[in-house]
Amino acid sequence: MLEDTLTADSIAADSALAASGDASAFERLYRTHVARVHTLVRRMLDADEADDVTQDVFIRAWQKLSTFRGESAFGTWLHRLAVNVVLARRKNVGIERGRFIPDDGPLGNVSSKPVTLELSMDFEEALARLPEGARQVFVLHDVEGYRHDEIARLLGVVPGTSKSQLHHARMALRRHLER
Amino acid sequence: MNDQWTNRLSEYLDGELDSTERGALEAHLATCGDCRLTLAELRAVVARAKALEDAQPATDLWSGIAGQIRREHTLERRDRLVRRRFSLTVGQLLAASIALVLLSGGGAWLAFKPGDGIATSRPGTLITPVSWTSGTDLAVSDLEDALTRNESRLDTATVRVVRANLAVINRAIAEARAALQGDPGSTYLNLHLANTMRRKVELLRRVNALAAES
Repeated sequence: MLEDTLTADSIAADSALAASGDASAFERLYRTHVARVHTLVRRMLDADEADDVTQDVFIRAWQKLSTFRGESAFGTWLHRLAVNVVLARRKNVGIERGRFIPDDGPLGNVSSKPVTLELSMDFEEALARLPEGARQVFVLHDVEGYRHDEIARLLGVVPGTSKSQLHHARMALRRHLER
Repeated sequence: MNDQWTNRLSEYLDGELDSTERGALEAHLATCGDCRLTLAELRAVVARAKALEDAQPATDLWSGIAGQIRREHTLERRDRLVRRRFSLTVGQLLAASIALVLLSGGGAWLAFKPGDGIATSRPGTLITPVSWTSGTDLAVSDLEDALTRNESRLDTATVRVVRANLAVINRAIAEARAALQGDPGSTYLNLHLANTMRRKVELLRRVNALAAES
């Protein structure tokens, strides 16, 4: 408990120092939070994009630190920033793809039919193989704890679509629980 | 197995069904082993998701981030230097803007002055020559004295620009007065003189205020 308080205090201090331009303090924040950000990004996007996007998240965090007012924990602020960067990336990639492949909606690449995955995969691998939209809804809802109305707003869909995709994702993943 | 309730199991698990639907689904679960099994599996998926652990990236990404931060810092410093190099003090900007107004006003006067075929006052209209100047002259004189006392508080570049622009203003005033000698009824010349005097007072007041703040 005391350790958590000290950690929270040191993160708050480092975020204030980093906001004033202290790169060493920002590096400490990076070391504390990089695993969480990288894992979020890797689960939400393709694994080969994770390094680039994680770097982008931290560079944007550095640029926007002056807007961080300490009303929430730095980790929460950074996490929301990471989600926004990921979704912006998804949107841009969607626009690029849309030049060649007709899109049929914000979650157009997600089938409404049940998703089937090879049984030999472990849970993380099966999660990575889910269609992008279902994967993002699953990560945001079941891993990160977002509500359907928040997810719907972030992804530009109705809450019913978010619920439906979550159910398809869970149904696909239930065979990969303990491998 | 897939029946009408299977697709509602996640909503049931998340507590998103209303009481009527929940009651109906629970009645169904009491009689459907497949749905009970599926519900248990979905519950396990949710628990597994909550237990997923974060992992460090395979390579250290800090060097790339630090490099980008350094580049931005360098660019920012360069921008600041450029901005500083071309920046002017408030007094300098004020004086420069007034000089610009005067120069454009003087240009217009030269373009439309009497004798060039363009009348500046309607024939037969009698306009009383300005009589306010003596009071204004006193005010200007007081402000000029104050400026002389205060200018040591201003940086030399500001004083130099202010003095140069006061000279421009004074010259414009002198020219307007000389022109009014020949055409005392000119509406344009009277307004031009009044505006120039007003701007001189304004400049002197602002520069004195600036000096008082320094």
